[in-house]
Amino acid sequence: MQRRTFLASATATLVLALGAGPALAAKVTLDDVLHDPAAPEGGNPKGDLTLVAFSDYNCPFCKKAEPDLDRAVRDDGNIRLVYKDWPILTQASVYGARMALAAHYQGAYERARHALMSITGRGVSQDDMEKAIAAAGIDMPRLAADLEARKQDITALLARNMDQADALGLQGTPAYLIGPLLASTLDYNGFREAIAEARRKQAGDAK
Amino acid sequence: MFSSIKARLALLLLLPLVLFPSVALAETPPPADKVFVLAAGRNNDGALRLSWTVAPGAYLYRDSLKAALAGRDLALAPPPGETKDDPNFGPVEVYHGAVALTLAGLPASGALDVTYQGCAESGICYPPVHSRVDLAALTVAPQPRASLLADASPAPLTSVSTPSAAPADAALAGSLLAVIPTFIGFGLLLAFTPCVFPMIPILSGLLVGAGRPSAARGFALSSAYVLAMASAYGLAGLVAGWSGANLQVLLQTPLVLGLAAAVFVALALAMFGLFELALPSFIVTRIASLPVRGGTLGGAALIGFGSALVIGPCVTPPLAAAMLYAIDTGDAARGGVALFALGLGMGLPLVLAGTFGARLLPKAGPWLAGFRRVFGLIFLGIAAMLAGRLLPPPAGLALWGVWAMIAAAFLGAFDRMDRTNPWNARLTKAAGLSAAFYGAILMVGAAGGAGDPLRPLAFLAGRAATEIAGLPLTPPADFDRVFATEASAGKPVLVLFTADWCTVCKSNEKILAEPAVSARLARTARIAVDITDETADAEALMTRFRVVGPPALFLLDADGREIPGSRLIGALDAADLTARLAAIGA
Repeated sequence: MQRRTFLASATATLVLALGAGPALAAKVTLDDVLHDPAAPEGGNPKGDLTLVAFSDYNCPFCKKAEPDLDRAVRDDGNIRLVYKDWPILTQASVYGARMALAAHYQGAYERARHALMSITGRGVSQDDMEKAIAAAGIDMPRLAADLEARKQDITALLARNMDQADALGLQGTPAYLIGPLLASTLDYNGFREAIAEARRKQAGDAK
Repeated sequence: MFSSIKARLALLLLLPLVLFPSVALAETPPPADKVFVLAAGRNNDGALRLSWTVAPGAYLYRDSLKAALAGRDLALAPPPGETKDDPNFGPVEVYHGAVALTLAGLPASGALDVTYQGCAESGICYPPVHSRVDLAALTVAPQPRASLLADASPAPLTSVSTPSAAPADAALAGSLLAVIPTFIGFGLLLAFTPCVFPMIPILSGLLVGAGRPSAARGFALSSAYVLAMASAYGLAGLVAGWSGANLQVLLQTPLVLGLAAAVFVALALAMFGLFELALPSFIVTRIASLPVRGGTLGGAALIGFGSALVIGPCVTPPLAAAMLYAIDTGDAARGGVALFALGLGMGLPLVLAGTFGARLLPKAGPWLAGFRRVFGLIFLGIAAMLAGRLLPPPAGLALWGVWAMIAAAFLGAFDRMDRTNPWNARLTKAAGLSAAFYGAILMVGAAGGAGDPLRPLAFLAGRAATEIAGLPLTPPADFDRVFATEASAGKPVLVLFTADWCTVCKSNEKILAEPAVSARLARTARIAVDITDETADAEALMTRFRVVGPPALFLLDADGREIPGSRLIGALDAADLTARLAAIGA
């Protein structure tokens, strides 16, 4: 199998060099992707497998896959889920990502994310996103305060996410980095299979 | 979009070089500007003509087409697209294959900025593509992807431009409103546990004093006691919730989960009577000898606050469970409120006894034994839940099966009964028998590898689907044998790859069952290959016919060669399929 041979020749560490583009000087390492201290996380913090989800709040496929992702991570119980807001589709996506990340400061990132991912469609407006966040029971005055006070940090995190997505060669949303595997939209069984496959690869790597 | 998982996963190469992006691209989706290709030209009348070629499997959103001249947006009149109506997407107009539009009245030179966006059915949405059209040379140059971040002008929250806390507080209260009655209920249950309940008359007598004052005085005293006790719990909940973030990780460790499960099992055994848990007698004597006899409000409150700490060993585990909840929320206010409500619930019978006298309360009797059993079962359930997080899902399911069996035994499912037994004993036994039956099913499910307590036998259904649209499923190994039979008439054979886990295949089955389609299908030799299990035979067959995954449908001639152009991948279209079937004379 071709892919197996690829893996066998792989080294244990990974340094991703950015391709072309203005950010050429930036070096992104796999460690940056997996362990950004500011990135919100879900699942099991001690999980033996890390799943990184790059998504956009106006990406219908992301919304379609999200419940399956949640369920797969929950059922597995041993996955560290790292959320990367990667707003590339609409201007409102950036707004949604900012709100979700601001909600992280009150420990409510997943609640905000869930609220945003639950609005169907690809053209969700800023207003609708905000309503969904408020309806999810997020402390809105606090959110507004954090949006303002943490603006630099949030922008920096989003910029890092963008750089990392570019370095990974991601073309669009969603993108799931499951251990050493990269996938776009999956259904529940797809996630489970990919997770199992990623563990097999990881086990093979460790030898 | 539901092709085989292996085809959809791209291995990220762990190579520290530039090679990386190119190799990753070999398996990841192609970039947006390769999927949507824009070309420009002039019509005879001089109008600019923009035409897009859309790669197979991808589509362009009609409303995403935009053009701007010197920063000014132009009004475009794109042709109507196909309406795509997906519950996840809402109705949208899209273009498959190709689309073109004309723009009149543009200058002969200059630059036109064009933006467009789309997705691929394989489940990826591309960022908007920006291209610049040279109006003189009619060349199209890709533009760097505009970072939406750059335009991230301050995004004030419109709904909270004036800091009014009302909506958020209301929302918070909304969820808290559910917490309070729940925990009051739990508290009430706890009050009826064997080692709290007998204390109630003693305490109320102690608080109200020998003099038997008015109901109002009794109410005030016992309320002071209960409020103080609830406050103590609330304080504990506040601390637990506040420290939650740090403790959550610890609580996930197998050691802690295992220990907690063991403690709950021991408590369940105590409830079943293996050993006795009671408030230590020295505490009971101490309380009885407290100098607040006939007490004051302050004295009552003081005992209340203190007694929360020594309320008795059998309340500890549920209390610990409530603390776990508080910790789990990681929200100090919520944890505090929850435990305060718990204390309030525990104290309600006491207030009742303090106000109206102990005679209102039910006497300790055989019902308490029943109560203990229920609590024992609940504790065992909690233990199973905790242990289940450590075990593989089928083992966890088996554990629940055992639990249901124990519940059945306690409900008297296996007790002998004769005609003298009253109706309530019969109902209890019926409940017990149901529990036993459910437990047996869970164990069967666990043995079959299931992990979902609500669908323990789902693995049977997976095997039960032996045909689709009236077509028996063929295991990959039998393909050649079945093909030989089907092809014996010398006519083309329709081959269908499907799998149980493939959701598009399910919707395809509906298409295949449509009368117009199924009538033609009935006249066609056909084989449905089931590749639910990724066996070596399945892989071999998939490689042989270059099927990346289900659903795939194509025609083989009688010699087993694929008829060119007959292949359909993904969701089927009834009209398209009918036309193809008609073409082979079906």
